[in-house]
Amino acid sequence: MEDILKALPADGASVMANVAPHLSRHLLFPLIQFEGDQAEEKGDSELAKKILSGKIKLLEDTNMTDYVATLYQDLHGVSEPPAEYTKKRQDVLTQLDKYEKETEQIANLLTQDEVVNGLRSDKVANLEFLKNQHGVTLEMVNALYDFGQFQFRCGQYGPAADMLYQFRVLSTDNDKVAAATWGKLASEILSTNWESAVDELKNVREGIDTRLFNNPRAQLDHRTMLIHWSLFPLFNFEGAREPILDMFFSASYINTIQTSCPWILRYLIAAVITGRTRARNSSVQQKQLKDIVRYVRQEAYEYADPITQFVNALYIAHDFDAAREALRLSEEVCRSDFFLAASTDAFVNAARHLICESYCKIFSRMNIRDLSAKLGLNPDDGEKWIVNLIRETRLDAKIDSQDGTVIMNHPPNNVYQQVIEKTKGGFFRTQVLNAAVSK
Amino acid sequence: MSRFFRAGNDDSSSESSSDEEELYSGEEGQEVDQEQSEEESDEFDQSDEESEEADDKDAGDQKQGAFRFLRDNVESDSEGEDEVRDKVKSAQDKRLDELETSIKQIENGLKNGDWTLISNEFDKLNRQVTKLPAGSKIPKPYIKVIAEVEEAVNEALAKAKVTPKKMNAIQAKALNAVKQKVKKTNKDYQAQITVYREDKDTYLWSSDEEEEEVPAPKAPKAVKFEDFAAAEEVADEGFATVGKGGRTLQYTPESIFKHLRGILETRGKKNTDRIDQIKVMEKLNEIANTPYQQIRVLLTLVSARFDLGSGTTNVMPLEHWKAAEKELSQLLTILANNNEYVVLENVEEWDDDEKPPTLQPGEKHIKVAGSIVSYVERLDDELHRSLQSIDPHTSEYIERLQDEGALYNVIFRGLLYYEALQKDETIEVPQDSVNRIIMRRLEHVYFKPAQVVKTFEENCWKAVGENVDSTTTPRAQAQEPAELVNVLCAYLYTHSEGILRARALLSQVYFLALHDDYYKARDMMLMSHLQETVTGFDIQSQILYNRTLVQVGLCAFRKGLIYDAQNTLQEICGSGRQKELLAQGVMMQRYSQVSPEQERLEKQRQLPFHMHINLELLECVYLTCSMLLEIPLLAQTGSSPDVRKRVISKTYRRMLEYHERQIFTGPPENTRDHVMQASKALAAGEWKKSISFIHSIKIWDLMPNSEEIKEMLSKQIQEEGLRTYLFTYAPFYDTLAVETLSDMFELDATKVAAIISKMISHEELAASLDQVTSNVIFRKGVELSRLQSLALALSDKASALIETNERTLEQRTQGTSNAFERQGGRGRGGHRGGARGGRGGPRGGGGNTQRQAGGTQFTGGALGAAVRG
Repeated sequence: MEDILKALPADGASVMANVAPHLSRHLLFPLIQFEGDQAEEKGDSELAKKILSGKIKLLEDTNMTDYVATLYQDLHGVSEPPAEYTKKRQDVLTQLDKYEKETEQIANLLTQDEVVNGLRSDKVANLEFLKNQHGVTLEMVNALYDFGQFQFRCGQYGPAADMLYQFRVLSTDNDKVAAATWGKLASEILSTNWESAVDELKNVREGIDTRLFNNPRAQLDHRTMLIHWSLFPLFNFEGAREPILDMFFSASYINTIQTSCPWILRYLIAAVITGRTRARNSSVQQKQLKDIVRYVRQEAYEYADPITQFVNALYIAHDFDAAREALRLSEEVCRSDFFLAASTDAFVNAARHLICESYCKIFSRMNIRDLSAKLGLNPDDGEKWIVNLIRETRLDAKIDSQDGTVIMNHPPNNVYQQVIEKTKGGFFRTQVLNAAVSK
Repeated sequence: MSRFFRAGNDDSSSESSSDEEELYSGEEGQEVDQEQSEEESDEFDQSDEESEEADDKDAGDQKQGAFRFLRDNVESDSEGEDEVRDKVKSAQDKRLDELETSIKQIENGLKNGDWTLISNEFDKLNRQVTKLPAGSKIPKPYIKVIAEVEEAVNEALAKAKVTPKKMNAIQAKALNAVKQKVKKTNKDYQAQITVYREDKDTYLWSSDEEEEEVPAPKAPKAVKFEDFAAAEEVADEGFATVGKGGRTLQYTPESIFKHLRGILETRGKKNTDRIDQIKVMEKLNEIANTPYQQIRVLLTLVSARFDLGSGTTNVMPLEHWKAAEKELSQLLTILANNNEYVVLENVEEWDDDEKPPTLQPGEKHIKVAGSIVSYVERLDDELHRSLQSIDPHTSEYIERLQDEGALYNVIFRGLLYYEALQKDETIEVPQDSVNRIIMRRLEHVYFKPAQVVKTFEENCWKAVGENVDSTTTPRAQAQEPAELVNVLCAYLYTHSEGILRARALLSQVYFLALHDDYYKARDMMLMSHLQETVTGFDIQSQILYNRTLVQVGLCAFRKGLIYDAQNTLQEICGSGRQKELLAQGVMMQRYSQVSPEQERLEKQRQLPFHMHINLELLECVYLTCSMLLEIPLLAQTGSSPDVRKRVISKTYRRMLEYHERQIFTGPPENTRDHVMQASKALAAGEWKKSISFIHSIKIWDLMPNSEEIKEMLSKQIQEEGLRTYLFTYAPFYDTLAVETLSDMFELDATKVAAIISKMISHEELAASLDQVTSNVIFRKGVELSRLQSLALALSDKASALIETNERTLEQRTQGTSNAFERQGGRGRGGHRGGARGGRGGPRGGGGNTQRQAGGTQFTGGALGAAVRG
């Protein structure tokens, strides 16, 4: 795996090298694929070749022999794959047969309605029931697990997920169940079944919290892995955004990020900033943004990339020129990042909003030309953009086109309004309190 | 001797600490001593009290010193007989007189059969005898009396058997008591008693002659030395020498064990002369020729030497410490060269004195009972104690300190020895011993600058020779001090637990902080979560924790992280009890009485001078940090009196108030004055004056890179000056050109703009920037009327009340109630974030100088956030 990482351009902006060790082979594959595509796009055939050979190395240990063989043919320009591949293919096929036979009975059973209806939530009782009624043994259940793993290695993610699910229902072996949950999560991710992936994510998270309760070190490692894996649904599925962000911002996970993988901050920032317009409620988003700023400041000594620099310049140093420069760099970084590539435009747009927001907060009169430059737009586009902004957000601002300036009107913060704000929740909170006491 | 000296010593401890760094940096910082006069007037009465107490104690000391003489006087006065003669008699004679009185009393008692009297007098007599200088001869009258008493007791008992009920109960009881006592004491003097019995008449005569031979109490010692000189001369002819009591002592290799046994049996008894025994053993050590003998002799010898320093007050004499160190390393050499002998704790004693143990078939080692690690620890402790008692300003201290190198070598070789034992599977080495010895090594390393550690290491590697290597600390890694500390600590993390592990961690953090590795030190400190458990530790570890905390704070300061530095130092320096918390001097409790026991313990805990953290530097750093944070805050809150006052450092505020109350302020004399006047200047916007005040503090020179630190401080003062200026004068301006400000504070225009932007965006300043004219426009109408601010205060209080209620309920329900689970925060208090708990401690803090109240940081979780919303 190291070879392929070495083959990748080491320009510092990519966090690939950091991310890779925490992903499984199969999960890493899409990332490598993405890098390969990028290299091809750039026309860098040398690099593309290197990545291709890296890909073969990566997958050699798996059971996806057919695919590897095709890759090999591509790379070396031969029409026939070498004999070892065909041999391995045979092995895999016989193995497959063997597993299929072993699990045939139980798989059949689990498709029958009356059997499924007989199952209860008590696992021990279930196993007893199956043993008495249908002669299912523990070995058969474990065979399900092995077969699921085998399927996964073959790249048959859908069936693998099913197998593991069935295994989990029946098995009482906690360690294996945990492993099966991880396996199912990977399978769901790889078969882009996001909704169930999010569910599995929850299961894994609970497992980490309860099962490894006494082992902080293992907890940390597992959480680190979980954080990396959950990047897939985070940037690919709208519905996953909120639960995953909540998870990231919870105390133990943010600590994990700070302790063992500060590079995740970039994804966290991107997710929060991009989600600006989509967020259901802006106060949550405000809070998250503020938290992010704090984490960036805390981690500044050990991790910095253009995206964190952008946050740093905008919210900590208040240096708008630096922020603009950082934004330009982050755009590049985003485009070449597997997870962020798709949302690059949204990110840049949202980031411009943020610049504008804090600019408006601080300045009462500003030059359109300067502002456009700060946003990285030409004056005409800038003006249009600002007009749109004013209309969208109902800012109290006017454009003086004679002077080419925007004049902000900062209404003073009304004292009475403040008093009302402060006492607003009082009644409700007291009621809740009252209810809680009388409970 | 001691009164003035001692008082002076106590007073100067603050000043003395300022010399601490010199010990290593070698720079002479004499001018620092002048700063010492900065003790505030309120501390003067304290030191008065101090010296008073010192007086009392001195009197006590003298009493102890002259104790035996005085007591003798008092007692003989009460006898009323020898009053006249007393003045001309020597102590020895007086004691003999007393002895005689007692003897007379006993004789009287014998005549009358008054057993109560005899019992009392017999006790007294025995006490007096034990008090005699250990070397002197037992007075013959004493022997005579005890022999007589024994006879009388026997007679009385025989009589009592024949005619029961003759004696009354008290007498009978006394008789029995005497019988017991006689039995016990006479055993010791059996030889003399038989001599007496043989020749009752002439016995006393000969005794007189002998006493004349020994006229002064010093004489016996001299005689003894001669004895040994003689012994050496005749050593070749079978080691025949004449010991005390006329017995012939034979020092032969064969009799070594017998002597050792004798010595071991008298160990801990009152009237044994330890020095004498040590001399005997030194002799034995010379003649011991097998490794087994040598090991046995050395083990006993070293522990006998340690017995000299036992007791809580007296310190082991220097020459004995040095000898013990030599002997210990000799022992280690012997053990290293003779692999078949091992010294272990949990081994049965070999009882047979006649023949040494031999190698049993099937066993690889001859095990000797003993504990190397205890000896090493004891040696270390003794040095520590001796350093505690030496005045650190004398050259004696420096000389004593040089012994640390030798000690470090011993520790290192002890470690090597245990490693060698561990390699052998047949021997069970308690992990605890290895941990202890590694901890000792670490304790000698962690507080020292890298180059000093390096020299230490080089010396000890040189001492053990080329071809020896250590498994825990391989030669290559030990060369680099940072690596060494890392390796030692990593070993302790994996192999030890509980307090030892915590201490290892603290030591490593201390070392990192000392070497400017701030972030790593801070992260380790926070991740250890020690702040939650430290209150349960023993006092020594708590002191180490305090020291580490302070060192981390100083490190943050050197890095220019003012906020973090102040925050970290607050706990220690804000308490006003730095001396006590860092164990660098005893604080006098003004309102509560300290029992002598407590005081003694406190004294024991004190760190030797070379380990001190310079208290004055610490105070200086703390005050400077507080100034940089407090002055802008004061300016910000100063204009509106109703805003709830936030106080960062109470200590600083108090000093500032005190300073402002002074009618006439002279030129600054000490650090505190300097900082206070700098604060005043800064508050008035005169940043240049403030900088010059701060720069003229001399103690900065003690910091490495003092120039850089001064530069950093200038920059901070400039920025904070600008902020203070804006806060103070904002109400009087409509607009202010950025350019003017940048001229005034000699800051870059963009920097000024950035600072102003920051203030605006944190809503500290009601203003906005005009980009076209680059002015700051202050908003009008933001000053609140009295009614308005009161309304605000009321609403604040109302919501605080609700919050308290909620928290109380949360505590009552142990957080199980989900009553408060609501959707998110309310936006307003977002920056207080509840997701902060886990990693513990104050981490850097928010962008604004928002401070969280102590306990709330650890509530964490969604619930905490919702409640605080």
